Amino acid sequence: MPSPMLQRLKGFSYSLILLFVLGSFQKKEMDSTLSIQFRAYVHGVPLELNKKYQNPFGETFEITRFRFYAGKLAPVYTNANFKSKIPSHYHLIDFSDSATTRIELPVTAGIIYNGIQFQMGIDSADQNRGAQSGALDPAKGMFWTWNSGYINIKMEGNSPFSTQPAHIFEYHIGGYRNNYNTVWQIKLYSTNDQSFMISKEKKILIEIGMDLDYLFDGPTPIHIREIPSCMKPGELARKISENFIGTFTGLTISPNP
Amino acid sequence: MKSLAAITFIGFFCVIWTNIPFPFPVPEGFPSPIYKFQNNPRTREGFELGRKLFYDGLLSKDGNFPCSSCHQQFAAFATYEHRLSHGFNDQFSFRNAPGLFNLAWKKELDWDGGINHIEVQPLAPLLDPHEMAEDLNHVISKMKKDKTYPVLFNRVFGSPGISSQRILKALAQFTASLVSADSRYDKMKRGEVHFNQYELKGYEIFQQKCSRCHQEPLFTDFSYRNTGLEVDSTLKDFGRMRITGRKEDSIKFQVPSLRNVFLTYPYAHDGRFVTISEVLEHYNSGVVQGPTLDSGLRKGISISSDDRFYLIYFLETLTDSSFIKNPLYADPAMGVRNEAPAHLH
Repeated sequence: MPSPMLQRLKGFSYSLILLFVLGSFQKKEMDSTLSIQFRAYVHGVPLELNKKYQNPFGETFEITRFRFYAGKLAPVYTNANFKSKIPSHYHLIDFSDSATTRIELPVTAGIIYNGIQFQMGIDSADQNRGAQSGALDPAKGMFWTWNSGYINIKMEGNSPFSTQPAHIFEYHIGGYRNNYNTVWQIKLYSTNDQSFMISKEKKILIEIGMDLDYLFDGPTPIHIREIPSCMKPGELARKISENFIGTFTGLTISPNP
Repeated sequence: MKSLAAITFIGFFCVIWTNIPFPFPVPEGFPSPIYKFQNNPRTREGFELGRKLFYDGLLSKDGNFPCSSCHQQFAAFATYEHRLSHGFNDQFSFRNAPGLFNLAWKKELDWDGGINHIEVQPLAPLLDPHEMAEDLNHVISKMKKDKTYPVLFNRVFGSPGISSQRILKALAQFTASLVSADSRYDKMKRGEVHFNQYELKGYEIFQQKCSRCHQEPLFTDFSYRNTGLEVDSTLKDFGRMRITGRKEDSIKFQVPSLRNVFLTYPYAHDGRFVTISEVLEHYNSGVVQGPTLDSGLRKGISISSDDRFYLIYFLETLTDSSFIKNPLYADPAMGVRNEAPAHLH
């Protein structure tokens, strides 16, 4: 007859084993990676900073800085009954640093996916967590200090059409309160309804195309001459964020070399 | 026997090398604080690092404007005798510097409540070109070159490295710890002293005429209200509307605590009132009508000269002299100052 102490210990070790088994299942879930590359285009030409372009309204402009937050990225299962495990972290996509435009996402091999989902911007729960680090470090210059909150999209540049000093234009788009929420949930599917399976050996690259023409020529037309700046949460920021999500035009899926 | 000795030895070592928890006492009668040092466990070392940062000019562009330049202990951490505070390059701040105490009970900070968490509050003055005028990465690089900071951050956070997150968490350990709850009023509440008849009469008048907004025990209800102040034509400060963008929040400001009110003059978001009498007279006869005016102030608050006499007796009981003399909150390099230094700018 084992002593009650020993029995208790035995129970404890069973639960340890159970935990270990569960833990290994958990681990097995993410056994491959999916490469995601954000690509921005203006008039069908890949975006380069400090290069002259023309928007759909004939206004010439240059972009000097272009960053935005994408978070909670996950592949979408073809079978709608399955839900992806959504990671909680964010990425700051910064077109002045090409390394940040590519994300290596841990995924489960052997499952068929047909899309990508992510959140554009920082949601209210994550706006209220105090001092944060990583992509959300306020030292990244994406945080409003006097009206706490992250700038979800930052686009700066210059255009002879801007009426601002030195002809600059600046769109700092953010806001999560009330009716001025600029955070969007985005689901993108491949342009030709292609689905894809990731295996451990055969890696896949997904390119998310962004057509910046739609930033100007969206549901709310943005003429640089009329709207050279947006620097605070509000109706305008909300509208520009709506244009912004229209720039995501689709996915291109290819084997990852 | 040997192993026991070894365990004891290791245990002893752990006590030395881990930070000692530093419990946060909630004063009797106070509600549960909003900031409970979640994800930022309060330790003596963390508090001390925050205190050092609070008093260090290194956090400002030209070295002259530590947090403590506008938040002075002898003024309950407001700026003594200044309508607006001074910042980098002879500039004025946008608003009157509020006293810093009982911040752990604030859900939203600043006169307009624009700051949503105590940990991110220091970013506003730090980066404001009129105040400390600094840049976060520059502050971090200055600290990394410093002799003591790398050691202190390592000790507090258990690994090397200085980041904005660590700076802000350490500062919050200090600022959230600034508790003022030992005034004559508190002592009366605890039964340690008795109010004299003037104070008692003042307390009664206070409860009738002021406590609707300045609710005990924190002496604010943290709401935003238009108290009938005309908008200053140079500052053009519309208060809460700047944050929410809503018309109905125009000229609304967060109700300030009246604790230490004798020490925190001048008053109001722009420091327009120099004395408490002026503030009381404003409520008595100076309230400006407007669409967002607080519903309780349509007719002002009638405060007779007798009322004023007694109220001032009561308000004086809210001064916490042990708070302003507490060596724990003082500049670690200087100790407690009892009054404004003569050279104060």
